[in-house]
This record gives sequence, C-alpha cells and structure tokens, in this order.
Amino acid sequence: MATPVLEIKDLHVEIDGKPILKGLTLSVKGGEVHAIMGPNGTGKTSLAQTLMGHPHYQVTSGQVLLDGQDVLAMRTDQRARHGLFLAMQYPSEISGVTTANFLRTAINSQRGEGKPIPLKEFRDKLDDAMRFLEMDPKFSNRYLNEGFSGGEKKRNEILQMLMLKPRIAILDEIDSGLDIDAIKVVAMGVHSLIGPDFGALVITHYQRILNYLKPDVVHIMMDGRVVKSGDSSLAKELEAKGYDWVRSELLHEV
Amino acid sequence: MASMADIKITNQLHQFAAEQHRDEPNWLMNRRLHLADTYLALPLPVRQRTPLKNRKLDRIPILTVQPDALASDSLTELLKLVNLAMVNGRVVQIAIPQSWKDKGVILLSMKDAVQSVPQLVQEYLGTVINDEVDKFQALNGALWQDGLFVYIPPRVALDEPITVMHYGDAQATSILPRNLIIADKESSVVIVEQYLSEPGAAKSLWSAATEIVLKEGAVMHYGAIQQLAPAAEVFVRRGCTVGRDAVVNWHIGEFGAGLVVSEHLSILGEPGGKSESTTVFFGSSNQHQDYTAIDRHIAPHTTSRMVARGVMKNEARSVFTGITDIKKGAVGSDGRQKEKILMLSDTARADAIPSLLIEENDVFAAHAASAGPVDEATIFYLMSRGLSKPEAVRLIVQGFLAPVIDAIPLGPLRQDVWNAVERKIAQ
Repeated sequence: MATPVLEIKDLHVEIDGKPILKGLTLSVKGGEVHAIMGPNGTGKTSLAQTLMGHPHYQVTSGQVLLDGQDVLAMRTDQRARHGLFLAMQYPSEISGVTTANFLRTAINSQRGEGKPIPLKEFRDKLDDAMRFLEMDPKFSNRYLNEGFSGGEKKRNEILQMLMLKPRIAILDEIDSGLDIDAIKVVAMGVHSLIGPDFGALVITHYQRILNYLKPDVVHIMMDGRVVKSGDSSLAKELEAKGYDWVRSELLHEV
Repeated sequence: MASMADIKITNQLHQFAAEQHRDEPNWLMNRRLHLADTYLALPLPVRQRTPLKNRKLDRIPILTVQPDALASDSLTELLKLVNLAMVNGRVVQIAIPQSWKDKGVILLSMKDAVQSVPQLVQEYLGTVINDEVDKFQALNGALWQDGLFVYIPPRVALDEPITVMHYGDAQATSILPRNLIIADKESSVVIVEQYLSEPGAAKSLWSAATEIVLKEGAVMHYGAIQQLAPAAEVFVRRGCTVGRDAVVNWHIGEFGAGLVVSEHLSILGEPGGKSESTTVFFGSSNQHQDYTAIDRHIAPHTTSRMVARGVMKNEARSVFTGITDIKKGAVGSDGRQKEKILMLSDTARADAIPSLLIEENDVFAAHAASAGPVDEATIFYLMSRGLSKPEAVRLIVQGFLAPVIDAIPLGPLRQDVWNAVERKIAQ
C-alpha cells in the first residue's frame, strides 16, 4: 500500500457553538513522527477527537484528507478501517468484555465480513505484542480497561495500536501519568511501526517523551492554531524558555 | 369458544372443569371447582405499572379444548431433546433414563401423578403457591391441564438435568401448565424449562405455575427460558419452600411474549436455608414485562441473593420489583439484591424497584438498583477501533450481561441464554 498522507487544511471546529480550532493546517506522512505541543485548553485533544469523528465536535470549515479521501465524510468506524487510529487520553472502561475478545472483534471488523482471523494466529500475534510491551499475559483476560491503572490503560492503547496496525496514529497525551520505564515502552511500540506505511501524530505537554520518540517535526499549538513548527530542537527550546516565549514572539511578529 | 367475558354463569365453568377432569379424585375436583368460583369472583389484578384492562385479556377463549399437537419434523426434533414435552398444555412425551428409575426417582405427568401417587400430590399441591392470590393464578388452579411431577428420594443426586419443553402452536388459546417438584432430604437436582410457541395472529393466554418443595439439605437449580411468540400474554408464578440448610438457585431468562407478569418466591422457613436468584431479561418492540422476585426470610440464619439484569430497546417497557422480606424472628439473616438495566433507546422505559421489608434488628440487608443508557463515549471508543455502531452496541450488551450469564453453572442453559440474547440483539 502506498505511503499514507494525512492532510489537515484550515480546520475550524466548534463545540456547542464555541470555536475551538481556528484554522489549523498540518500534514503527516508515512515514516514521520510529528509532535504537537501547547498549553492546556488550546485545542489539542479537540483536534484528536475531531480527526476520529467524535460527535460532540462540529467542523464548520476546512478539510481533512487521508490519501486524498475526505475523512470528514466518514463515520468513526470507517476512519478506523481506512487506517486512522486514536490512542485516547481517557479510554473507556468496558465491563464484561475481555481485552482479548475486544481485540479480536476489532481485528475482525477491520478484515471485513467472512474473513475472521484464525484463533491461533490471533493468539500468537497477541502474545508477541504483549511480550514486546512487557505486559503480564493475564492482562488479555481482564475486562477492557476496567480497574486498570493509568499506566495500564496507556499500555493497552499501544497494544491495540500494535495489533490493529494503523497507517496514521494519533497519540493523545499517551505519556501523561506514565513513569519513565513506561514511556520507553510506549516509544518502543511507536518505533516498531514507524516506516513508509506508518506515521504518527503525538500530542503532548512534555518534552520528556520526545527524547525517546525523536519527532521529525514539532508543532506548537496555541488558541486553536499551529503557531510555530520546527525540528526537534524546537521542543527543547520550548522546554527551556516556556510558552511565554512563543507568545511574545507572536506579538513581535504582529 | 367461551372467553372470560362470556362466562357469566358459574355452571358453565364448573361443567367444563368437570368434563375435562372427570378422571380425578373428589378432593382435586372440589379444589378445581372452588378455585373456579374464586376465579369468577376476583377482579383483574391491579398492577401499578402494568395496565391490564386495555389488553382485552377477557376476549381470549379459555373454555376450549386445546388442539392436539400437529406433527412436524421440527417439533419432533425439538421433543427428542427433552425428558418431558408439553404441547398446548398437554404432556405428549416423557423419557426417563433407566438410571433415574433405579434410584427411585418419580417423573410423571401431573395427570398421571394424580392417579399413581395421589398422596404426594394431595399433600403438596397448593402449599407453596396460594392459588387464590389473583385471578390468573386461580384460573391455573381451576383449569390446569397438565405439567411436570417430580419426586427425588433422599440423598439421590441426578447427574443430568431434567429438561422440560412447553410448546404452544398458533391455534392454542389458553395454556395452563402446573408443575410440582419435591426434592427430599439431601437430594440434588437440576430442572430446566423452555417455553416456546409458534407465531400467530390470535392471542394466547398462558398461566403457568411451578411449586417446588425442598426438604432438609436439598439443593435445586431451577432454570427457565421464556421465548414465546409476541401474541402470548403470559402470567407465571413460581415458588419454593426451602427446608433447613437447603439451597434453591433460580436462573430465569425472560425474552419473549407480548406481556409477561412473572413472579418467583423463595420461602426461607427453616434455619440455614438459602436462595440465589438470577433474572436476565431483554425487552424489544412493544413488549411489556413485569417481574417480581421475593425472598421471604422467616427462619433465623437464612440467606438470599437476588440479581437482575435487563436490556431494553425500541418501545419496550419493564418493571422489576425485588422484595427482600425479613420477618420478625429471622435473626442473623442476610438478604441482598442488585438490579441493573441497560437502555438502548430513548423510547424504552424501565423501572427497577428494590424494596427491603425488615421486621428484625439483628440482620443484614442491602440493595442497589440502576438504569441508564449506553455510554456515548464507550460507543465512540469502540467505533474508533473499527467496530460499526451495531457491533459496538452488541459488545456493550454482551459485556453488560456477561457477569450474570457466565455465572450460570449449567453449560447448556448458559448457552441457550446467550443464544436468546443474540437473537434479541439482532432483532
């Protein structure tokens, strides 16, 4: 399959009539890791949720294309089947559904009717992925996210990513609440997929995870827009100088 | 074809009962005639959340000899699977393994039991369920057609469940089964009943009663799955007297019929008795389901656990009333109940009404009830992994019911309940 390209063009989004994203433009290709940084309340999570089609967000103008196809016209499940993946900041807990059962259902809906994954193949794949992420094998028989610690939930999101092999993954604050070992595991998971067929958009508050993820591009988001983009040195500069530095730079530009 | 509305004269009802049951001993005939009078005297039951008046139940013929079973391949296949099969209220087949007979197990149709073990029937019939409690119960008491009779001797444990099929075809109008089950000291038995009917335009009235007597130390698992056609209007009453240190386990799955008014009652009248009850229900289209579960603690140190989980979709309506009734003197008793309902549509309605009636101080009692819609965030989460909305809902429903259904210790029953749930989800 061709290298994926996700293009976000001048995207405007509202929630309950209140503008959240105000003309955001950005594009991610296979083989690239992009990071989005920005202060709280600037619209980072709204961007992630909008890309995946959360019903609370209304797109008022702009475009989102995946390989040239109109993502905004697709239902959430269609977006997933076209290769978009969102690792959520607050994954839902689903009682009574084991992680393994859920993953198999998800893989089978990706494969389409009448082509379910053979059980043995699924188990092997799951065992490999869990071993790679240093997860306890008992994990797969626990109910999905129920009673999981914050770190376990995040690892479970990465496990799903490895199993579903998306083309473009959006990771929404995957590092929040993780200790350094867990962050390394998450980074390892992302790196194992990186290649011409996979690109990632990583939303974070902190520079820390970027030390391991080594993004190709860093975007700074403020007030619903990307205000500055650069290479990974931008993240370090931001860490050192703080968001006020970006704000004052913006003022000078005006 | 006399219906309830047409029966004005007591004689008509008496005459029908006498003709249909002329083979029965006097005590039983007198009982029927007395309950016929009770039936005529009682008004329609008044149920707060279940209006019965506008359902025209009194238009359904009851003084009619029900048609014989029509032979069909599918029916023949179905009947092969069970120990006792009833069609249109009549027993059409009994199959008992030799090993059960060798152990002294008595398994008969109720009509045969009246002839061959009259003393047992006379001793226990009507001792668990009060046939005068409402109009439809009195109807069953007066005109019950046939049913399952079981006696398990002391210390006998059956390795396989006793399976019962109730089938009604589209021509049947009133089906009135009556079961009597006696498990003697320290015996153990599993009974599973299935209720099925052929879809048809004309309404049918079902009034079914099951009485269970557990002697000291007996253990009973009783399972029932109701999947009747939408034209069925169903009244079900089940009761169990639980002996000293005896245990009754109810597993009730309610899926079918247009109207269901169902009750199961555990009478914990001897110390150490225990009742565990699980009800799973799933309402769809315009079904109306009204369930009552009662745990009555009379003796000290009795225990009850009541769990109900329901899923409601379309315009369905349900009421689940759980009553933990701890009488004065039942010291050291422990009664708990938990009801949870998942709503799949805005137009469905469900009430979970837990109630604790407590006359004694030194007891433990607890209840919890909740009803709520499917969480939108959960749907979004599942869809973001590629599941379509129906697939997401199915997974959520499965997850909601799994802790209760997977706890059913009887494999085939568990599978049947899951199959019934799948059919309801797909509907």
